[in-house]
Amino acid sequence: MPDHTHDHPPLTPLQQSTVKYRPEDEVDFVVVGSGAAGGVVAKELSTAGFRVVVLEQGPWRTEKDFVHDELKTWNENLLTNNWKDSPNTFRKTEKDKANVKPSVLYGRGVGGTSVHFSANFWRFREIDFKEASVKGTVPGTGLVDWPITYQELEPYYTKVDWEVGVAGAPGPYDPPRSRPYPMPPHPAKSTGALLEAGAKKLGWKPFPAPMAIVSKLYQGRSACAQCGFCLGFGCEVRAKSSALVTVIPAAVATGKCEVRPNSYVRKVETDAKGRATGVKYFDANKQEIYQRAKAVVVCANGAETPRLLLNSKSNLFPNGLANSSGVVGKYLMFNGGGYSNGVFEHEVNGYKGIVATRLVWDLYELDPKLGLSGGGGFDFRFADTPINFVMGSLPPDSPTWGSAFKKLVENTYNRQLSCYGHTTSLPVATNSISLDPSLKDAWGVPAIRMTYQDHPNDMKLYQYFADRGEELLKAAGAKQTWKAKPESQDFSVHLLGTCRMGNDPKTSVVDKYNRTHDVKNLFVVDGSSLVTSGRGQPTMTIQALAFRAGDNIAGFAKRREI
Amino acid sequence: MTDVSRRAFLAAAGAGAAAIWLTAESRDVIAASRHAMQATRFQVLSGADAADLEAATSQIVPTDDTPGAREARVVYFIDRALATFAKDQKKSVESGLKELRKRAAKQVRGAKSFAALPNDKQIAVIASMEKDKHEFFFALRYMTIAGMLSNPEYGGNYNKTGWKWIGFDDRFSWATPFGWYDRNA
Repeated sequence: MPDHTHDHPPLTPLQQSTVKYRPEDEVDFVVVGSGAAGGVVAKELSTAGFRVVVLEQGPWRTEKDFVHDELKTWNENLLTNNWKDSPNTFRKTEKDKANVKPSVLYGRGVGGTSVHFSANFWRFREIDFKEASVKGTVPGTGLVDWPITYQELEPYYTKVDWEVGVAGAPGPYDPPRSRPYPMPPHPAKSTGALLEAGAKKLGWKPFPAPMAIVSKLYQGRSACAQCGFCLGFGCEVRAKSSALVTVIPAAVATGKCEVRPNSYVRKVETDAKGRATGVKYFDANKQEIYQRAKAVVVCANGAETPRLLLNSKSNLFPNGLANSSGVVGKYLMFNGGGYSNGVFEHEVNGYKGIVATRLVWDLYELDPKLGLSGGGGFDFRFADTPINFVMGSLPPDSPTWGSAFKKLVENTYNRQLSCYGHTTSLPVATNSISLDPSLKDAWGVPAIRMTYQDHPNDMKLYQYFADRGEELLKAAGAKQTWKAKPESQDFSVHLLGTCRMGNDPKTSVVDKYNRTHDVKNLFVVDGSSLVTSGRGQPTMTIQALAFRAGDNIAGFAKRREI
Repeated sequence: MTDVSRRAFLAAAGAGAAAIWLTAESRDVIAASRHAMQATRFQVLSGADAADLEAATSQIVPTDDTPGAREARVVYFIDRALATFAKDQKKSVESGLKELRKRAAKQVRGAKSFAALPNDKQIAVIASMEKDKHEFFFALRYMTIAGMLSNPEYGGNYNKTGWKWIGFDDRFSWATPFGWYDRNA
């Protein structure tokens, strides 16, 4: 064993599904996707006694598959979709030609993106659900209120805190919570200490970052070892509260839920009455299998979910399934941001420990005089693995080779950090996921075509957050700072809004219970249901919505209302 | 994009021809590591190629009062990579070396090797490739950095030379204080 390999005691393997259903068995639910949302839905439905099959396109990994190996993880798309088998095209506007270009990144494997994410777990606040009516709409956008309020979602946020495992402490701008955090926040790293110092100088009120990473022994999972390999990597000690180690094992433990990895769903099937009858998927050998089910829950993420619905068209649903509104795939949101960077005099060592330890929410809502819709929050972080840092993160105009380059890198890696200003991004109808008319993936399924251009309001917003972020870095004592001019985004890991929730079947895809307006036994639960983007960290809200949907769907099924 | 660092992604996908390495069809990166650590001879590179690559990568991260690419055995990393996960990059490395030698001959008439040039002439060759934004310059830079900073199992980063250079330590647990500012907060 190489000497930098970890020496933690081996973890008790998590149980894999014992129950096996046959494709011809009409199970109660088939859930497409096993990530942050699908895992929760599977757990809620199987706990309520229903027979559930979860289909996951990627493999079922264990901690042994997670390695501190930057080259392998990035080079091989070890944990994510890979653009060779699953290419997509991108264009800025509908007038442009769409070219092949990687534009989405998500986890491919049981647990989905929650396996490799940073685990920032901000709740949305009241304003996120009613920004349009409180602050006003924005021309050229589809900014509207949610059909639910924060108060309706609050019990489910609390469920996430306790069932999934979130570490944190109340902050000055927290929305009301019905129960305290289940465990204390993580200690401030130097990035957090600097954020606190800078923020206090500016009169702001920093507070501990809520993170879905356990800070103490919790439900049999050991406390975070602060190894620093969160972003992009799977957790080797089971401290990160991914679906893989929380809700999926809970679903499996019911004996009612079969999680079937390496199962790539290409179509939701419907009958002549317009009801979903199951899904067709490819197994690991690319054999097509038809899994029958009484109801289907699609939790495939904000890019793959609309793609699947659009690929599920039939005579009865010529524009794609659940798309009588024409809204499937539209209002794609990413979360934007303004980024700035600083170098400090002493060692920051940002590579150690979790990604973010302290936050600033003082600009969550902006002064109306600015004339900007939305807002955001800041953290200081350094999440660059060594190769990525040296290749892409050195200060501008740095030497790129030779003695001066060598010296610079020596003095920078431990002293540099970034200020991330995470922001809203507005829902714009023309920003979308659609099917590329010619490109197909390695299974012959029509590929994603992304159309995306940030709204002019958001471009100004990103600049504003980059500017304020640079001030924050200076207030914290950075001896050198810089920022890049924001550019319209063409790549995202936050895939939101493409099957938006609403009361009106003409303008939304799912109702307030995540049931599609058009198909009574078809539900969509993931980032695609979000009506607004929140301030940059959507997973907590996606999971709260999933707990709420699971609760409601189980109720519908028990009352035979599906 | 926010969380998966935009900059990291740009580094992987947008850094000119360096991307040739990152887009390699690398199903068997791990195979590279199995062969590594006992680098006694080259699997792919000829002696002359290895000498020129070692000299060129040593211009990217030179040896001075601290170790550089040579001591990190970057050239062994490249050899392993070309034998395994970057197999399909062999041709571009070969043509890059050809270009390197062509430019070496411009500096010193009749020179057949880059490695044989005096230091200042080597620097002039690399500088000319950088100036022309020649794709092999970006490839050299990426290979050097990856060879210095990837896990030692891949054959480079010998004795964690690269990690010591930047001040990274791949331990599996850390505790407070992490750095100067949380210690002195």
